[in-house]
Amino acid sequence: MKKLLLLGLYSLSLLATSNYEVAVKSDAAISGYEDASSQMHMTLINSNGQKRERLMKMIVLEKDGGDKSLMEFLSPADVKGTKFLNYEHVKKDDDQWLYLPALKRIKRIASKNKSGSFMGSEFAYEDLSSFNVDKYIYEGDAQVLEIDGKKMYMVQSKPLSKNSGYTKQIAWVDAESFLIHKMDYYDRKNELLKTAVYDDYKKISDVWRIGKISMKNHQNDKETILIWKEETIKNGLQEKDFHKRVLKK
Amino acid sequence: MIVRLSISTLLLGTSLLCDVEIKGHLDLQAQAYLTHPEQKHPDNYTAMAQIELGYLKDDFEAIAKLSAQQDYYDLQSSSDHNDRSFLRLDELYAKQDFEDSQILAGKSIRFWGALEVDNIVDTFNPDDLRTDLFDTDKLGVWNASYTQYTDTGELSLIIKIDEQDQPMAAYPYVYYLFPEYVFYDKSLQLEKSRNRPSVFLKYSGSTDTEYALDYAFILENGYDSQRYFTSDGPLNGSPVTFKQHAYLVNKAMTYNTLVVGASLFKMEALYADVIDNKLISDFYHLGLGVEHTLTQVYEQADLGLIAEYYKYDTLQSHKYSDLDLFQIFQNDLFVGLRYSFNEGNDASIIGGAIVDLDYHEQSYYIEYEGRLAETFKLNLDYRYTEPSPDTLTAFHIMGRHQRLSLKLGYYF
Repeated sequence: MKKLLLLGLYSLSLLATSNYEVAVKSDAAISGYEDASSQMHMTLINSNGQKRERLMKMIVLEKDGGDKSLMEFLSPADVKGTKFLNYEHVKKDDDQWLYLPALKRIKRIASKNKSGSFMGSEFAYEDLSSFNVDKYIYEGDAQVLEIDGKKMYMVQSKPLSKNSGYTKQIAWVDAESFLIHKMDYYDRKNELLKTAVYDDYKKISDVWRIGKISMKNHQNDKETILIWKEETIKNGLQEKDFHKRVLKK
Repeated sequence: MIVRLSISTLLLGTSLLCDVEIKGHLDLQAQAYLTHPEQKHPDNYTAMAQIELGYLKDDFEAIAKLSAQQDYYDLQSSSDHNDRSFLRLDELYAKQDFEDSQILAGKSIRFWGALEVDNIVDTFNPDDLRTDLFDTDKLGVWNASYTQYTDTGELSLIIKIDEQDQPMAAYPYVYYLFPEYVFYDKSLQLEKSRNRPSVFLKYSGSTDTEYALDYAFILENGYDSQRYFTSDGPLNGSPVTFKQHAYLVNKAMTYNTLVVGASLFKMEALYADVIDNKLISDFYHLGLGVEHTLTQVYEQADLGLIAEYYKYDTLQSHKYSDLDLFQIFQNDLFVGLRYSFNEGNDASIIGGAIVDLDYHEQSYYIEYEGRLAETFKLNLDYRYTEPSPDTLTAFHIMGRHQRLSLKLGYYF
């Protein structure tokens, strides 16, 4: 009987998957795109249901030490041509510049505070930065759940950065594809702040790419929907496409 | 043959037009001067428009930008006329990018600087003095440049080939800089030819260090952006004409931004070695600033705390002083706040006080900016200036001033 119990526990420990392992596989599932180019449609919905549309063009360069990205605003008309250049870093603050076309001015931005709202949306800057396991602490095993007949891992992580707006994040990850389907964000008071629902995953050149994220803020009842369109990857973009010179181009 | 040529030309024209991007805005502005010198206008109504046509094909870009302004009083009788209306070509240039370099030629506008209130090194383009004194409205400059890019920066050789006249609004516009009996002749007086090249060598870059630094150094040989005025008669109340003069300098400039956590430390500085001018002394100008941002002070709103200090001085005592040169930021301190709502309208409020530590002048302002119905932009501001009681500064000549301003812009 004792032997049987020990064998059972041994099998369970073999089957258990740590939060960290799931996160690493989840990272791997969406990595390898080298670079991406897309149009981003952002819909801001206030608590009364009123909608505002934003349109952006974005290119990203995948890099081990942190991605580089360039975003150009296409609408509303008064911010058309405004550009935002971001060099992500895992171990220090990101380098960020904003180009204001009306003044022809490049402004340096202090990126320490990652919890600030991106363009008045429910997304914080840190929500839009690339996923990197080194930015989080993972402890213990992932819980296994079954949602709508699908096996999911529930993965808990804590941001390493003291400047994050979150104390923890809980992700629901498909056990087969390791793609994230939902993410809960807990604020500094450890209360549920936002939920992001990930949709419309597409496989482009054998790499999974997200098509839509709906971010619902539970505390102010606002929502933002972000949709990626006309996305292409492995376009051959290089470092020079993310040089500061592109801001004035 | 002619028909075929016409069709080809039409097709080429249509194809080119397809690549042309048009953007611009139309603005209506109303200003009420609650406190102002007695004989000057008590208010002002202005319509403004700007349109930009851009052609972009691969690494080639061509830009044309036009501005127009119509002042209400310029439609009235001649005594109210204040010469603020114009149609102006701001930019007309072509730019070609190569692998590690770029060439640009034409009429263009550039920006140099890091500070918020006054960019003392932003000297490439002169300002048009027919628009709101508190707005920056630059005149395009004919120039050519070659830029070589490195991994972390760029080196540019820029040659300015024309010195612009600087038009100014006329009396009784509230921001006319001189007394009523002074007539301003805008034709610029130069030491050499108007087309004597001004040469700029600029190197700028960013460091990839723990505390990131953006830096820029500029050397200039040519006409200075600071100008001086001479009168054709004594200033005793009889009509006189003022002429604007440009002189030659060797100038070194720098502007830098250092990022330390949530704070930006900024510095702009310049030193001008004036070449053989009997009236104008060598001078320096320094600006230091810090901007610290507190995020989510209320819901999603951010609060920026800004402080800046400016120091200007001439180095030879028997020549024109800062007062003769209408230098405003000669020993001035600015403290201000920027409240960004961070919501769908991109609304913000910025306010602050500028205190002149030498001449006991104060200037206060608060400005709201936000978007309306997605295509309109609203600006509201209030300003109050208390001029020096006993020193002949630019604000003293302009008189005590209090205004309310409303601007509504349609963007397309």
